[in-house]
Amino acid sequence: MNDALCITDPGIGLYTQWIILSLMGLSTWIVLQTGRISLGQQAYFGIGAYSAAIVTVMFNGSLQQALMLAGGCGALFAFLISRILRCFNGLQYALATLAVAELVRLALSAWKWRIPHPKGHEVGPDGLFGFREIRWLFENQIRPEIYLTLSAGLLIICLGVIFFINNTKLGLSIQSAGFDAELASFQGEPVDALQTLTQTVAGGIGSVAGALYAHQATYVEPAVFDVMLGIHAVGYAMLGGVATPLGPLLGAAFDLGLLEAARIFDGWRMVIFGGVVAILLRWRPGGLLNPAVLYHIHQFIQRRKIHEHSKFT
Amino acid sequence: MMFEFLQRTLEGLLEAGPYALIGLGLTIGFGVLRRVNLAFGAAALLATYLGSWLHFRWGLPAFAVWLAVIGSTVLVGFYAEWVCYNSFDKSTMGVRRLISVFGILDAKEASVIAASFALWMQLEQIAVNFQPSHLHPFPDLSSNSYFFWGSFSLRPDRLSAFIFSLGLISAVALWLHKSRAGLGLRAFSDSHAAAQMCGMNTSHLRYIGTTLSYTICGIASCVVLSMDGQVTPMFGMWVLLKGMTCALLGGLGSLRGVLGGAMLLGITESHAQSLWGPIGRDAATWALLLLALVNQARQNSYPINSAGVQYE
Repeated sequence: MNDALCITDPGIGLYTQWIILSLMGLSTWIVLQTGRISLGQQAYFGIGAYSAAIVTVMFNGSLQQALMLAGGCGALFAFLISRILRCFNGLQYALATLAVAELVRLALSAWKWRIPHPKGHEVGPDGLFGFREIRWLFENQIRPEIYLTLSAGLLIICLGVIFFINNTKLGLSIQSAGFDAELASFQGEPVDALQTLTQTVAGGIGSVAGALYAHQATYVEPAVFDVMLGIHAVGYAMLGGVATPLGPLLGAAFDLGLLEAARIFDGWRMVIFGGVVAILLRWRPGGLLNPAVLYHIHQFIQRRKIHEHSKFT
Repeated sequence: MMFEFLQRTLEGLLEAGPYALIGLGLTIGFGVLRRVNLAFGAAALLATYLGSWLHFRWGLPAFAVWLAVIGSTVLVGFYAEWVCYNSFDKSTMGVRRLISVFGILDAKEASVIAASFALWMQLEQIAVNFQPSHLHPFPDLSSNSYFFWGSFSLRPDRLSAFIFSLGLISAVALWLHKSRAGLGLRAFSDSHAAAQMCGMNTSHLRYIGTTLSYTICGIASCVVLSMDGQVTPMFGMWVLLKGMTCALLGGLGSLRGVLGGAMLLGITESHAQSLWGPIGRDAATWALLLLALVNQARQNSYPINSAGVQYE
């Protein structure tokens, strides 16, 4: 319980962790766009971690296959859950997602499926001990730099797709459902379908984060995706700002980069982070990158462009 | 087979007393704040860690530890209330800003949920940093002997806890229904705006409600931990989960409902434990919470606000 993912690896590993946590924050951020708050995105993290590990460890699949299956499993599970919870709102939805996440964690805590590995030992989910020996990166001699690049590529793809969707009619519909679901419904927007879509995508992203984590850490146990990971994911999205998908990245960077890299706060990092998030929501409810800040940044860029243009005319 | 079933049911029923106390604390807090405080369990955890430290380090007797735990639960509760709730209700600027972010319905709620969620992490980590090991002793008042009622065996400590909890719930219910302060608190819980328009001192009522809520939470924590003789970092989550499940099963705001919810929870857990072990017991509790939420959502024929409360 010392930090969100129970590992603190300096150097390149830290950047990979930042990307994984950013993906988790992004997963929560997407759900927030439809006016709902999910406290249970860690469930998809766990599902992704286990399903990816099954592919590479038990069926000798590649990492690409593992990531695809993890994303698919997470998205499918998120789709089913979003349909079940579609009549919930506000706190009811938040609590229901937390309950689902804990049920998933408990189910994986009880799951044992051990098969013999060619090297002689047994591999597979082992109840409370989790899933160990996820050594695909070592066996295939993938260097940490390469893995970091791959993770960063996935994050950039996710961000690119979100930015693209935000500028389309679909993005506008999602935002309108988040502003006022009833009004959006009145305007003919399929609010239920939009909420299901965003939650399905969010589940897929959370699962990919879990798959990346499992292969970086070489093991995953149910304690890793407990409620604390969910708190961090919500914290990243709210602290960084809900107005832009870059918000969760900033939130994760604040937690990992500033506090972890400085290493002066030691065990008090989560105390400070929790306090900062709670107080910031009072002082700056939209997070660091709120709509006002984005507007000022946009204005600044516009002024610079006009200034640059005027030099040549 | 039938006897075993009844014995488990009886054991589950005795667990219901402390559960109902926790649920009562949460439901009073909900009435006052109009929101569920997710840092409720973490406040109990931090206070019991302090109690454990006073007991182990300074050898304080059980009575003094209980007082310290109750007092510190109230103090930590006020801190949580101040950080997560007070400011949001006073700051319309914050709300106005949020409307542009979350939409009108969920504007305040989303921030409050997230803030109390973050505070949960903060309080839990303070407790863990304060006492890093996993198990911490708490004044042990448990009994190893059994009391026989016909063919059924009962543990005297569980029976005492059940009777004590029922007595306390009855006293609180009596106070709420017979006293003027209790009437004020009920009126305030029904409608904050109406209470303010009638000239009630709402800040004062809010303090009374918060104090009562966390005092009951502190007492419930002491009752539970005195039977276990130890406290672990999981206690905060345990308090929140049990309290929330009881309160939601019985319908938030209903004293009788909380008691009924606690009985259902206790009996379900007891049978789940015997059938599937500790993981099954935890899973049954979460499943029951989910069921309570589904039931609440289906029963809401009136428009509901984002906190899930029916408009009256």
